[in-house]
Amino acid sequence: MPFLAVVSMLAVGGVVGLLLFNTSMQQASFAATDLQQQADLLQAREQSLQMRLNQLRDPQSIALKAQRMGMVLPTSPAVLDLRSGKVLGHPAPANRLDLLHLLPPPPPKPPAYDVQAGGSTAGTTTTGTSDGTTNETAGNASGDTAHGSPGRADGTGTKGHTRHKHAGHDGHTTHQQPSGR
Amino acid sequence: MPTTTPRGRSGRPPAPRNRRPARAGRGRRRRSRRGQAQLRLRAGFVFIALVLSFFGARLVQLQGVQAAKYATLAASTGGTVTVALPAERGDILDRNGRPLADSVDGRMVVADPVQTRAKAPALARFLSKRLHIDYFATLSALTRKDSRFAYVARRVPAALAVRVVDAATSAGYKGLATRNDPLRSYPDHDVAANLVGFMGTDGPLAGLELTFNKMLAGTDGSETYEVGAGDNRIPLGRSTVVPAHNGTALHTTIDEDLQWYTQRVLRQAVLGARADSGFAIVMDRRSGEILSLADYPTYDASNPQASPAKDRNSLAMTSPYEPGSVEKVLTLSGLIDAGKVTDRTKLLVPGELPSGDRIIHDWFAHGTLKMTLAGVIAQSSNIGTAKASRLYAPGQLRHYLTEFGLGQRTDIGVNGETPGLLPSTAQWDGMLQDRIAFGQSVSVNGVQLAAAVNTIANGGVRVAPSLIQGRATTGTGQVVGTDETTRHRVVSKNAAHQMTQMMERVVDPDVGVAPQAQVPGYVVAGKTGTAQRVGAKCACYNGEYTVSFAGFAPADNPRFTVYVVVQNPRNGGGGGSVGGPAFSKIMSFALRRYGVAPDGEKPSHLPTTW
Repeated sequence: MPFLAVVSMLAVGGVVGLLLFNTSMQQASFAATDLQQQADLLQAREQSLQMRLNQLRDPQSIALKAQRMGMVLPTSPAVLDLRSGKVLGHPAPANRLDLLHLLPPPPPKPPAYDVQAGGSTAGTTTTGTSDGTTNETAGNASGDTAHGSPGRADGTGTKGHTRHKHAGHDGHTTHQQPSGR
Repeated sequence: MPTTTPRGRSGRPPAPRNRRPARAGRGRRRRSRRGQAQLRLRAGFVFIALVLSFFGARLVQLQGVQAAKYATLAASTGGTVTVALPAERGDILDRNGRPLADSVDGRMVVADPVQTRAKAPALARFLSKRLHIDYFATLSALTRKDSRFAYVARRVPAALAVRVVDAATSAGYKGLATRNDPLRSYPDHDVAANLVGFMGTDGPLAGLELTFNKMLAGTDGSETYEVGAGDNRIPLGRSTVVPAHNGTALHTTIDEDLQWYTQRVLRQAVLGARADSGFAIVMDRRSGEILSLADYPTYDASNPQASPAKDRNSLAMTSPYEPGSVEKVLTLSGLIDAGKVTDRTKLLVPGELPSGDRIIHDWFAHGTLKMTLAGVIAQSSNIGTAKASRLYAPGQLRHYLTEFGLGQRTDIGVNGETPGLLPSTAQWDGMLQDRIAFGQSVSVNGVQLAAAVNTIANGGVRVAPSLIQGRATTGTGQVVGTDETTRHRVVSKNAAHQMTQMMERVVDPDVGVAPQAQVPGYVVAGKTGTAQRVGAKCACYNGEYTVSFAGFAPADNPRFTVYVVVQNPRNGGGGGSVGGPAFSKIMSFALRRYGVAPDGEKPSHLPTTW
């Protein structure tokens, strides 16, 4: 009976097809969940790499690295005119006075330390000298923390350390220099 | 019937009986295989009814008798899930598109203390090392007694959080999970922090983040769909999606690198003078765009709690102060514009000038001096300025100062901006005018005065300052930005030119008071300011000073206006010695960064005496 055969084949084929279709849909759903998770993960990774890039591009960290290599931002700009080959402005090498303190000063010491260091009541009467000394130590200390330890990490320890110590002193001198208006 | 018909025709009528047995014979054969049709139908119906009644009974059982049980069972194994689709918060960008505030997909790590308590110390060590969090806080979170939920870490970058929790799970620790927790990152820490502001746990708390929150935040969406076992989405199941609308990025006019440099130079200037605070502003002369607005003290926007709240707003914008001698630039250029004086007007400047019941002094003791107007600016003489300003018609000075933008908010988009204080016409008298002429008894905010000085740099046309590129709407519905910039003429081009030449004398080493403000190779025009300051405690001048320097370069075709203000220096410095060097550094960095070549111009040699 060909009719019966055709009908039953259709029925069986339909059922099996539907089953397969359903299975493949399920499979696709699993795959979609997996891929979505993977996509989320990759996106998160991309974002954290972007974050890292932004941190590396932070002008502060670039400047810290550059200063560790001994670079100083010059304060005397000069321009080379490519058409005439002339140098405009006053090119001058950067000096220690140009050194920028990149790191904030260390937090103030608790007053107890000052008493031990000798900053007693006598110090307050002679305001000028007392203030000057405090300032000098502060400037020196900030120079040390700013550049000493990274220099050591680089392996050029002693040299970098001493040079920056000088820089700290000089930087401080600039603060004292201006006294008129 | 074809076989029977011929038979009927041949003779005998067809006998019905004859046919029947034949049919019956065939029917009998069929019945033996399938039975009678009626019977078959009936049996079939009975069978179907039987099956259907089973279905019906089961339906009543499921829907009627045990409905509640199955509903809870379905809910516990999946059912529909609603997922929030968080809108990504718009970035805050500098003028070159580099992020000052950046949105990152973040997660919170949460724990179920019931499950984590057993191995808490080891797990706490594991987590504190990987997530860089405090060991003891973690330990107490993992061992909480009263709850099955504890925060371990919040706002962790998603990649890190997922990696750490996966690692913990595979190492045998149970009870950790991650949840969505949007993260705002400030890659530059303190750079422009006082402007940008920061985000709290639930929303923005300060700065541009707060002002432009509506635009930055966007709208969260949600998605509801059916899930089966293992949280897999059921294909073709019901689902509704409300898409999220991401926030819009805010483009500021700030130049990240210049802002950083300005902040470092400012910090050095403030600390070097042992001062309380300070700010510095760099403004593009032509467009009025603020390239840098630095405040000190400042804070790290990625860790705002570490700094006191008073360090977190922009003092330049929110705290009014008396500008002092910088304001002489406005007074005298208005006077030139009014046609009362010129840069060469000869003035006799006495050692002191009575003003009502008070006496005006200069910062240096002198007898009667023969100064030109240029000399008054170069030497910053209060007496000379007050004397000259008496040439103004009544109400004229106030009109000029209003045109320069004093007493009105700049509306650049900073929350809590002070409009400053320009005394009303009713309060205005001769004594007050004498003091206002040299910048006391009138208060301003930093950007106001920078924009006023920029007016001179810009040939007498005031360009409204702006902090936002394009346009943006603040929380109060105000539209701000470079698209809204307005320009209007305040003083004539000639008056501005004369004032520029006079200001060039200020940095002259021989006749001026601020040679430290020079930028090698360029001609700088500027003005110092050393103002008595109203103290925080008593509402009086308490011996503290506000020192400042405002100027622009290159003087004949200015590119930038820079304004540096330092509050309460304790090293005895004035505007020239404290503000000048900082001005010089910031200006030279800006000129170099923007490739402004020196044009070989020579500084003015206007006579300062006669």
